[in-house]
Amino acid sequence: MGMEIGIKMENPAYSNLISPLLQVRGLRKEYMQPGGPVTALWLDFLEAGAGDAIVVTGPSGSGKTTLLHLLAALIQPSEGSIHFGGQDLDSVGDCSAHWRALSVGYVFQEMNLLPDFSLLENLMIAGEISKVPRALERSLFLLRRLGIEDLSHRRPGKLSLGEQQRAAVARAVLHAPPLLLADEPTASLDAENAGIVIDLLLELAGESKSLLLVATHDESVKKRFPRVLELTKNERRRQ
Amino acid sequence: MKLRTKLFIALRHLRSRMFQTFSVVAVVAFSVGLAVALFLAAQGLRLGLVRAVEPFELIVGAKGSPYQLLLNTVFLQDAPIGNIDWEDYTALSDDARVSSVVPLGFGDSYKGYPVVGTDSSLLKVRVRPSDPPWLKIKEGRWFREEELEKEELKKEKFEEFEAVLGIQVADRSGLRVGDSFRTSHGIVAGDEHDEEYRVVGIAETVQGPWDRAIFVPLEVLHRIHSPHNHESEHEHEDEDENENGHEHEHEHEHEHESGKEVTAVLVHPASYADAYRLAVSYQNDGEKQLIFPAQTAIRLFSLIGQGEAFLSIVVYAVAGCALLTTLLVLYWSGAARSRERALLHVLGLSRGTLIFISWLEGTITLLAGALLGELAGRAGAYGAFSILGSATAIHPAVPLTLQECLAPLVLLTVGSLSSLAVAWSDNRDLTDRLRG
Repeated sequence: MGMEIGIKMENPAYSNLISPLLQVRGLRKEYMQPGGPVTALWLDFLEAGAGDAIVVTGPSGSGKTTLLHLLAALIQPSEGSIHFGGQDLDSVGDCSAHWRALSVGYVFQEMNLLPDFSLLENLMIAGEISKVPRALERSLFLLRRLGIEDLSHRRPGKLSLGEQQRAAVARAVLHAPPLLLADEPTASLDAENAGIVIDLLLELAGESKSLLLVATHDESVKKRFPRVLELTKNERRRQ
Repeated sequence: MKLRTKLFIALRHLRSRMFQTFSVVAVVAFSVGLAVALFLAAQGLRLGLVRAVEPFELIVGAKGSPYQLLLNTVFLQDAPIGNIDWEDYTALSDDARVSSVVPLGFGDSYKGYPVVGTDSSLLKVRVRPSDPPWLKIKEGRWFREEELEKEELKKEKFEEFEAVLGIQVADRSGLRVGDSFRTSHGIVAGDEHDEEYRVVGIAETVQGPWDRAIFVPLEVLHRIHSPHNHESEHEHEDEDENENGHEHEHEHEHEHESGKEVTAVLVHPASYADAYRLAVSYQNDGEKQLIFPAQTAIRLFSLIGQGEAFLSIVVYAVAGCALLTTLLVLYWSGAARSRERALLHVLGLSRGTLIFISWLEGTITLLAGALLGELAGRAGAYGAFSILGSATAIHPAVPLTLQECLAPLVLLTVGSLSSLAVAWSDNRDLTDRLRG
């Protein structure tokens, strides 16, 4: 039963979309600095569908993290639009947290987990926020799948970085989000663990038909993805 | 997110920084406990004064400080001002404006417990006409007066007289019904009298200073301190007198050669108007005074109240410091958790929910401190006042009132609102905390 919960879980709301799941048009994000506004990201066009896996690369400061923040509706664009599942993220507004809870899974480079809670508690809290049905079974299934079930009652501080990242992946895919974002998920890991984490991301995103975007500097990671989005630092400062 | 989960997160955060949480709880508890103890002391003193003064409607005594007459007669503290003539007492008892009188004689003691010479009229005193008698016998009986006059007082040499102990005397001195003891001159241990008293009864508590009294027949005091009796005593004490100087000067004031005296008379007026008529008649009296104990106690309390006001300022300052400490600790620990809150925000917790959890942490800490402070303040005050109670007239069992809860409630409300502000400040720009 537990296996079924894990394998079959996908978000049906976006399964019959005719238009691409993600549509980005003329996206620009500026930050105010003492010398004037600074463009952190400029992306004219991007489209992707459910189950796509895209790697986002580019030099430091090219806006990889900013793009992921914009896609997660953590920040608002200065210009342009992002449509996800046919919905303009601008219209999400004050409900962005609720939208994110249901639609987004996020993996950071490190410190992904709440340090005062065990792995299982971390997953259960995320499950409650995202209103995951039978969250306990699904959490245990994922921890088992990722080979860290016996660590489920340990706190993050007692785990290696590789184990922490695997737990972070489990938490991110717990609610089978249609959009799975990972910001430098392998930067703190050795090659072996980095490979395991990328495998898991691709595998689990594929199972739940999530659109996966991974920001990375790592060339070996880049090679694993069929689509590459290269960001540049061009026109960073607006004239 | 369910409230239960929010509470779980808040409690886990508090547990993970146990030292800070404990420090804040301790600081808040200390300030609240201090405020509660001070309030209880003031309330206990007020209640104690009221309870102690209640049975004494009017007191007539020697001219002097009304406070001293009050302290000596009602609270059994300090030395008596002096005595008034027995004729003044009988005149009062015959006065049409007076319903009843109780003669009182002070000056002797037993191990620091004051001896009160009186008669059975004391047993008829009631706070209100419908109330039971103020002083009741718990064990044994009241001392015999008539037989004493007829038999014992006629003897050349007194051997044993009867006494009734206040409940605290019985509890603390170890004297029981049937035991004997000897009293001393003065309110502190002085020369012992030859005569022995036998305990014939123990009074019920009056929940006031008179629980420390030893009741003896006034007639016996008169005889013990009569010039005739003291001649024989002083034969043995002449040498000591030279050494002690004027030590007994005061105690011997009531040994006027003119005859019997009383230290004070407890007066129950026939009516309210008669009480004031009586007061007017004593206004120009050069030797005696009449006081309304309740009014004198209020004046006395207002003097004490000035000290209380100063202490209140100190307590408010301590509470302010406690609040500031709490907010600083909340802010610092909140700042240390900025990354975790940002994570929860990414997971889908709204800023409002995050503010609520931060506020919950502050409020739980303050609530624990306030409750602990209230309990500690009450327990400490009750313990201290129970020990000091009868000596200081502070009534220990002060009922819980809203006014008492004001300090913890104000601290809790202000602290809670302030922690909301801290929580709001901590949860700004959450996305920025995800960088780096």
